[in-house]
Amino acid sequence: MSMGAHTAPEPVCDAVTLDVVLGALRATQSEMEALIERTAMSPFIREKKDFFVALFDADGDLIVGAYRPSAGDPVRPIFEHYPVEDMRPGDLYWYNDCYGSHGSVSHSPDQVFLAPVFVDGRLLGFVQSWAHFADIGGMRPGSISPDCVDIFQEGIIVPPVRLAREGEVNEELLRFFYRNSRFPDLIKGDTRACLAALRLGERRLVELAGRFGSEVVADAFRQLGARSERAAKARLGKIIRNGQYRFSDEIETDGQGNGPFRMAMELRVGDNGVVLDFSASDDQAPGPINYLLNPAVPRAMLSMYLLAGDPTLPLNSGAGRAVDEVVLRPGSLLQPLWPAPLGQRGLTMMRLLSATMGLINAAGGESTAANCPYVIYFARGLDGNGEPFLLTDGVGVGYGARPFADGIDAVYYIAQENYPVELMEHTFPVRIRGYGIHRDSGGPGRWRGGCGVIREIEVLAEKATIAVRVDGADSPAWGVGGGINGGAGRAIVNPGRVDERQLDPLSDGNELFRGDVMRLETGGGGGWGHPFDRPPEQVLADVRGGFVSRDMAEEQYGVVLSPDGLSVEAAATETRRRKRPAVDGLFHRGGYRDELT
Amino acid sequence: METNMLRFAIAVDTGGTFTDVTLFDRQTGQSWTAKAPSTPADPSIGFMDGIASALTQAELTPEDLAQVFHGTTVATNLILEGKGAKVALLTTAGFQHVLEIGRQDIPRNANMFAWVKPKRPVPPEQVFEVPERLDLDGNVLEALDTEAVRRIARDLRAQGIDAIAICFLHSFTEPKHERQTRDIILEEHPDALVSLSSEVLRVFREYERSMATALNVYVMQAVTQYVANLQERLTGVGAAAPLLIMKSNGGVVSAAEVQRVPAHTALSGPAAGVVGARFVGAAAGFDDVIGIDIGGTSADICLVKDGQHTVSGNGKVGGWPLPFPMLDIHTVGTGGGSIASVSNDGALTVGPASAGAVPGPACYGRGGGAATVTDAHLVLGHVPPYLLGGGMRLDVGAARGAVEKNVAQPLGLDIEAAARGVIAISNNDMVGAIRVISIERGHDPRDFALVAFGGAGPLHGVALADLLGTRTVIIPPHPGVLSALGLLVSQLRTDYARTCLQTPPDYNVAQIAATFGELEAEADAWFQREQVPPAARKLSRHASLRYRHQGFELRLPWAGDAVDGLATEATLEAFHALHEQLYTFAQRDTPVEIVTLHVVAEGHFDQIEPSVWPSGGSLAEAVIDHLPVSFEAGRQTVPVYDRMKLGAGAEFAGPGLIVQLDSTTLIPEGHHVSCDRFGNLIIAAG
Repeated sequence: MSMGAHTAPEPVCDAVTLDVVLGALRATQSEMEALIERTAMSPFIREKKDFFVALFDADGDLIVGAYRPSAGDPVRPIFEHYPVEDMRPGDLYWYNDCYGSHGSVSHSPDQVFLAPVFVDGRLLGFVQSWAHFADIGGMRPGSISPDCVDIFQEGIIVPPVRLAREGEVNEELLRFFYRNSRFPDLIKGDTRACLAALRLGERRLVELAGRFGSEVVADAFRQLGARSERAAKARLGKIIRNGQYRFSDEIETDGQGNGPFRMAMELRVGDNGVVLDFSASDDQAPGPINYLLNPAVPRAMLSMYLLAGDPTLPLNSGAGRAVDEVVLRPGSLLQPLWPAPLGQRGLTMMRLLSATMGLINAAGGESTAANCPYVIYFARGLDGNGEPFLLTDGVGVGYGARPFADGIDAVYYIAQENYPVELMEHTFPVRIRGYGIHRDSGGPGRWRGGCGVIREIEVLAEKATIAVRVDGADSPAWGVGGGINGGAGRAIVNPGRVDERQLDPLSDGNELFRGDVMRLETGGGGGWGHPFDRPPEQVLADVRGGFVSRDMAEEQYGVVLSPDGLSVEAAATETRRRKRPAVDGLFHRGGYRDELT
Repeated sequence: METNMLRFAIAVDTGGTFTDVTLFDRQTGQSWTAKAPSTPADPSIGFMDGIASALTQAELTPEDLAQVFHGTTVATNLILEGKGAKVALLTTAGFQHVLEIGRQDIPRNANMFAWVKPKRPVPPEQVFEVPERLDLDGNVLEALDTEAVRRIARDLRAQGIDAIAICFLHSFTEPKHERQTRDIILEEHPDALVSLSSEVLRVFREYERSMATALNVYVMQAVTQYVANLQERLTGVGAAAPLLIMKSNGGVVSAAEVQRVPAHTALSGPAAGVVGARFVGAAAGFDDVIGIDIGGTSADICLVKDGQHTVSGNGKVGGWPLPFPMLDIHTVGTGGGSIASVSNDGALTVGPASAGAVPGPACYGRGGGAATVTDAHLVLGHVPPYLLGGGMRLDVGAARGAVEKNVAQPLGLDIEAAARGVIAISNNDMVGAIRVISIERGHDPRDFALVAFGGAGPLHGVALADLLGTRTVIIPPHPGVLSALGLLVSQLRTDYARTCLQTPPDYNVAQIAATFGELEAEADAWFQREQVPPAARKLSRHASLRYRHQGFELRLPWAGDAVDGLATEATLEAFHALHEQLYTFAQRDTPVEIVTLHVVAEGHFDQIEPSVWPSGGSLAEAVIDHLPVSFEAGRQTVPVYDRMKLGAGAEFAGPGLIVQLDSTTLIPEGHHVSCDRFGNLIIAAG
């Protein structure tokens, strides 16, 4: 806002225009999103909606995008190969290179497309579309098999390249790419959708500059960053005092017989600033759970929490500046060395997001309990016509309870939808036998952790090879402040039959045959606050709605229900609640404790 | 439907504060308008009061009425306020939590740490699983457990739950289990109201279909009772005229049809405004218009292209999916009563919180302390400090105080700059909403005229047009009662649709023709029920297409009258063109699938001609005052015109204010105003 730092006077965006510009940027974002949703071809993008768009300033700083903490720093990798001076209107840039983008992309199926936006020959900013492509080659259909031992097995790697020069798309590059996919038609349609979204976004930004002048818009970009930065810093200052705080958690397995892997973080808040230090984390894993962390990611994870009170603040690079320094140790789980495999990093990402909340709790700020990391499985085989099919199904989990509300039930990351049962059965050779809330999976607490789900999939193809990732069997989502940990997840084949078996929670090559059933039970979020403080009526409602069993109501919540289950027995509840378990630890996982590892 | 039998038509639009009534004589073109206070506890009182008042003016009796048109917000309000019936939903066994899980997503722009999942209209303990199962082709995998249905029905009767929705998997393909279940329920629980998903919304995606079916029965009792009550009262005063109710698709149907699928009235109120905007646009010579209806709490925006409304199948009401054919109306929570505030981090926002009618804007002097859009207009002199006709005086001091305290001080601006900021933000929100229904749908708003109506529409119309680059603004003669006019000029309309998946290269033209035939037979049956004479019937065919592997279809008119290979080819080509227009690219190398076929059935009443506006006296006679107005460029004293004294043919240049009973029009400098022969103000830029 202050012009003192600048030598040359420049037009400043006034307070009102600033919010007008913000509204226009958000409208542009949603127009681009709608275009992708309506024209993309793979169910993973059009129906599950695993795509994001974002707008950046000329330096590559994120200004506006979806509220997700894993956006990284996606423009700067382009600069390393294509200096700004060499960019022209109509150019398009593209990559999926995790190591080449320093973790801005953190597994290879995510394609990043970027277009510079020029106004009167001057660079105003960038528009980005980003989507998870169903298959880009690699070891197995779906590309990111838990069996992969290096990144070459996880599909074709596209370094930052110029896909179009002054509007002329390099079709050779795309042909090369499509040829490397098992499902080239889907990939082609998805690519076209992403590129069309860029053209649309570009046009909107040019129009915006036409309306207010590019100087004003550029200044609005700066101010939107500064506004989020101020808010995030103020909130951090309010909830966390100067000091050093630690939190750690561990991931049981890398799916290849190794583990556990410890994820350790330290927050240092002092007069010299705010430092997030991950260097005490374990060495990288042989299996693909490594998370190549771009420093922008932990910044965003923390600042997303800090901005939660105010929906007018975009989650952008400015908000990330609440953290002054991020320390990572090369060769560790969170900063693996080329060419370590990365495909299953979703698990580590979700654990890290929860660990960031753990760190805030440890630092004395009242934050949420842990989320259960989302669950995913791949099923591949040949359908009734002998055509190959690839089903990649994201399955919801429960999120952590909060100091003001229950955790969210049945949710997958953010903005990622499930496949309707009727779509599943129409598109893939499967039948869904049941899909409901996983009772008792939400961690008990004054506020209950969100519940996971149960999804039962019957195989109708002759054979299906299945990869699964179900986190949290041995280390479920922790509770906090008296709240209990959430329930664990698991994958069972043919439950209740003589050939019932449980799948390894992170595994591939599981063969199921026609008539076999896979039952996925996903984990819940941790609870917040002592469960005996939950109003009995809320416990009753949970029992009646199928979220909590009678037994759990009585044992964990101390609430006794009438024999018909329709009312609370007040006297019996009071008696039961007199034997209130003591809380002797900030966190809870299998028992109260101050540290998890 | 002969004209002589249908001489006097009356339209009643029930709003939150007032019930507007317009009575029309089809023979002479004369019309009368009346306003009665709305009576939310029993809206039929305001409804009848309004009718009585209009009849008195016209010196007519209820027996003279040939038709009664009505737009209602009963269903809308029940859904928005969560006050519908206690509903039971029956699902296929294994899917009790279909509503709870929904699509499992946190909204894209929500912060996961702050977002709380909204409470469903049907709680899970009222969802009952029924053992039965069909496969995707409708074959029975597991027979319906009729005994289980019987037990549930008895149980529901015992519990006093009589609103029952049924949605089984794949029932959009084969509805027999749903129908069988209904029959059993009605045997055991004869008083129950039952909705079948296969009758309410026969499309795939079980969450959306379950929700639509549940919401339908959620509002059914209230809407049915309401409609029956209106009919009873009409009959009670001797009116034999049929009651015709506006649906979300912009057409009217008989009360009996509304009682079958009451959820079709979820957008009944705003839909009437869309029809009115189209009518006014056409009268003024514009077939391409964007309508914006700005009321107290929200603005409803719609688009009319080539004289046709746009219909969408992806509608939402109160956050719930309701994918019926609905007019493509985009609502933004910004209206005259919307409250402006500044967050701790310095962001200025307007709405969605509203001061409502009570306490209302600060300037109403009813104890409201919040700064509203209306207060900002008053601070800037956009409205006179009095309401015409000796009504309420507005408290300028209170308005300035509210804007100063809530906006100017936190932002460090002077009061007028702050007020301008409030208007700019609200205009921006509305422009964003206009872009959604125009640019996002591939239309350039600069090619359209803007019809601005509702009480606050004429205050914002010119500013919105300037922001959009739109050259023409139309202000109808009575902007506050355009919805009632829309009702009067509406047509009977029902949409029929069926999935008929055709994949290349083998488009089965015979099957397409047969499906259209079935839909047209259903439409004919409806024409019979509504007693539409053959000459007034109109059927049109449409198809929804997509590229193979896409998940969304584009709906477009079937090309040509025949259903043959040639017409199919032409329809495919039109699809490529539309895809390119909407999404910037076509994919002629990619197979196209025909997914759904639609038939739209319309029963045409004789078209009402707009009333001719008298020519007035001299322009000077229309000027009743001079008032200071604060424009961007500075303060300026401008003439105030009395709208009723501006005759047809009157012309003048801005700046100026045009006042009338139900609205004020703001004309900045650089705009030219002319009054056409129907009394519309045509405002042109430059």
